[in-house]
Amino acid sequence: MVLLPAALPGGNPGGPSLLPPARAEQPRSQAKPVLRIGAIPDQKPEKLNRLYPLVAAELERQLGVPVTYVPVVDYTAAVTAFRTGDLDLVWFGGLTGVQARLQKPGAQVLAQRDIDVAFHSIFIANTGSGLKQIRDVKGLTALKGKRFTFGSESSTSGRLMPQYFLAKGGVKLADFAGGAPGFSGSHDTTIALVQSGAYDAGVVNEQVWSTNLRDGRANRAKVVAIWRTPGYPDYHWIGQPNLDQRFGKGFSRKLQGAILSWRTSNPLQKQILTLFGAQQFSKATAASYKQIEQVGRQIGKIR
Amino acid sequence: MVAPALVLIPVLVLLPGLVHGGGIDLLKEFLQAAITPSLDPLVLGSAVSGLGVTVGIALLGWAASALLGLALALASSRQVWSSCCGQTWPANFLRRLLAVPRSIHELLWGLLLLQLIGLQPAVAIAAIAIPYAALVARVLSDQIDALPSGALAALRCAGVAAPQALVTALGPPLLPGLLSYGGYRLECALRSATLLGVFGLGGLGTELKLCLQSLEFHELWTGLWLLLAVMLLLETGLAGLRRRWLMPRRLGLGGLTFTPLGPESGAGTRGMGQTARPDDLGRRGREMVLALVVLGPLLVWLARAMGVQPLALLHWQPLPNLGGSSWASVLALPWPQLVGSTLLLTLVAAGLAVGLAPLLLLVIAPWPWARPLLQLTWALARLWPPPLSALLLLLLLKPGLVTAALALGFHNLGILGRLLLEASDDYQAPAEIALQGAGVGPRLALFYGRFSGLARSYLAYGAYRSDVMLRESVVVGLVGAAGLGTQLLESLSSFAWDQLLGLLVVYALLTLVGEDLSDRARLQLLAPA
Repeated sequence: MVLLPAALPGGNPGGPSLLPPARAEQPRSQAKPVLRIGAIPDQKPEKLNRLYPLVAAELERQLGVPVTYVPVVDYTAAVTAFRTGDLDLVWFGGLTGVQARLQKPGAQVLAQRDIDVAFHSIFIANTGSGLKQIRDVKGLTALKGKRFTFGSESSTSGRLMPQYFLAKGGVKLADFAGGAPGFSGSHDTTIALVQSGAYDAGVVNEQVWSTNLRDGRANRAKVVAIWRTPGYPDYHWIGQPNLDQRFGKGFSRKLQGAILSWRTSNPLQKQILTLFGAQQFSKATAASYKQIEQVGRQIGKIR
Repeated sequence: MVAPALVLIPVLVLLPGLVHGGGIDLLKEFLQAAITPSLDPLVLGSAVSGLGVTVGIALLGWAASALLGLALALASSRQVWSSCCGQTWPANFLRRLLAVPRSIHELLWGLLLLQLIGLQPAVAIAAIAIPYAALVARVLSDQIDALPSGALAALRCAGVAAPQALVTALGPPLLPGLLSYGGYRLECALRSATLLGVFGLGGLGTELKLCLQSLEFHELWTGLWLLLAVMLLLETGLAGLRRRWLMPRRLGLGGLTFTPLGPESGAGTRGMGQTARPDDLGRRGREMVLALVVLGPLLVWLARAMGVQPLALLHWQPLPNLGGSSWASVLALPWPQLVGSTLLLTLVAAGLAVGLAPLLLLVIAPWPWARPLLQLTWALARLWPPPLSALLLLLLLKPGLVTAALALGFHNLGILGRLLLEASDDYQAPAEIALQGAGVGPRLALFYGRFSGLARSYLAYGAYRSDVMLRESVVVGLVGAAGLGTQLLESLSSFAWDQLLGLLVVYALLTLVGEDLSDRARLQLLAPA
């Protein structure tokens, strides 16, 4: 749907320049290469704009190369930008990560969070919708005829795995009110839309849901969790295949080591980890995402 | 003229079943935010720089399309070919060929080029320039070929070389229509650039989409009001220039007609022949040259400031071969249903837009105070990219075809309404005054006295606009169940190139057939009664 890096909201330090940041910071010549990092925009832009500049600063300190964060407008954009070489290191979801690796052979899976080994989705409902707690997959049939929204089309926790479980429970996409589900674009938006009553129900990533509950943005009087899915592997960092050529021998290992070294004992790293909703990062391999690839193929998001 | 509004009946019948009103609180918040946009310097700053990028994309795309279009128009004009080489088949061949880039919406060009070229500012510009150039070429070559060939033949007989003869014979009568049409395309380019932004190709549209998606309405309105200011400035500026340089209006004027597809039957010469005196002509010429002199460096500066690298367009990134692609999966798509709902969507949207504009003017006829209000609503409708109105509508309505049609119809209502109002104000309608004098109410007088004279050219323009709406139906795909557009977005996020290609071909075919039908309708409507 949406494809290019957005102009960095609010970030225009150099006066009224017309330069889109993505382009401004992109080296075309032999100048010192810049590590461009990106992420799928799964949450509110303001949160992404708080988190990823921190990540960029920390990696810059650890690795000694200039690092910039390039925001993108949607999931598909992140995959495309990775394929075209406009992003070097991207925080992908399960599905987008598989799509990116298939489009860029040799791309390296670097790390995942502790929570990504068995990640969960939460089905949520507006309290006025009459939807009750669901016990198992079969209970999802209660959603038939309701106004239902996913997150992004390419979201693993906000679309792919939920659609897989819905199918297991005998619910087709055409069973929702209006003959189709909505695609809110991000987890935060799904919560806001279900809370407002614009949709009866939706499905979100568990980590974003608990964050919203904790900081009070999700109002329990209006929106409640009705089912937690079984676990599946999700988010991970993926790097370009040519990082060692561009930044020097062993750079990928160094980069991986830097991410794995983040600890809550370091104040800045703690801030990063908290925003990621994780205790720490661990090594990940492409093999962990075989299940996601299978489901992706089954649903037609991977071909 | 109001008959297309009959689609209101089924829409109104279906509407109660679609309303859920669940998002009424959010909608209230949205409307309240209109009077309290965020004035945070950071928000303002990013909206202004976003707007700068959008305007830059629009101007550069427009300029590129004008130059390219002019060249292609000459190359596809039968008169030019016959006077240069005595043959017309290359012109006919090129015309057919140009139908292809024209039939694909700028958004699709943008998304395609993005996949092939990557994140280059030149992508959005090329996305506008390609289909626009093909459109300009068609309109201009039609105009050239519609001009009387006497002057040209006389010059050629007198031994003037073909290029000089062409410029001398065709230049002056062509100029007013060319400039008027060029101004219209610039307005379109601003809307297109905003829309491309909504789909992530940079600029203010991108920020509007992000704000709406994170439900930050105050920030959203900051961008919207700024965009509205720029759009109205551009529209009034162009209208001023049109008046000053005595160029023809776009819509019918007392029997003479000029539609964005070209002045029919010599309307182009009318503007000049009417009042232009030699000193007027001199002044106009000087001003036009001045405008060009200012425009040139401005465009170069813009291109540099935006880091546009035209050569980047030549650097293609091959699409990865993902394997597993098979024509069976393309054939397995529910084509009849996709095409059917796309056509239905277009018809409903067109009926709404074409029918509602005069209907609303009739309704408000007795109340002068309601007019500025209606104008503001129409301005917002033009401004507001259809996918964003679709997302807003979802707060109140269930997803589906009617919701998508409302979003698309609303946008085009803004465009048609303005044109109708402009033409209607210009139209000398003694009949209306007579009717009013005879004690007929303001609505009936407007209807019988003024609209009856405008009906044909308005409907002709409506036919052209419906054709545009068919192409545009792709942009409301996010509402779901909206035909080819929805499928296209889904296939894109699955990186299913084969399906994408199939969808593009079907879209192109549909728009070509639609264009043919709307051309026929226009010709019939504009034929001397």
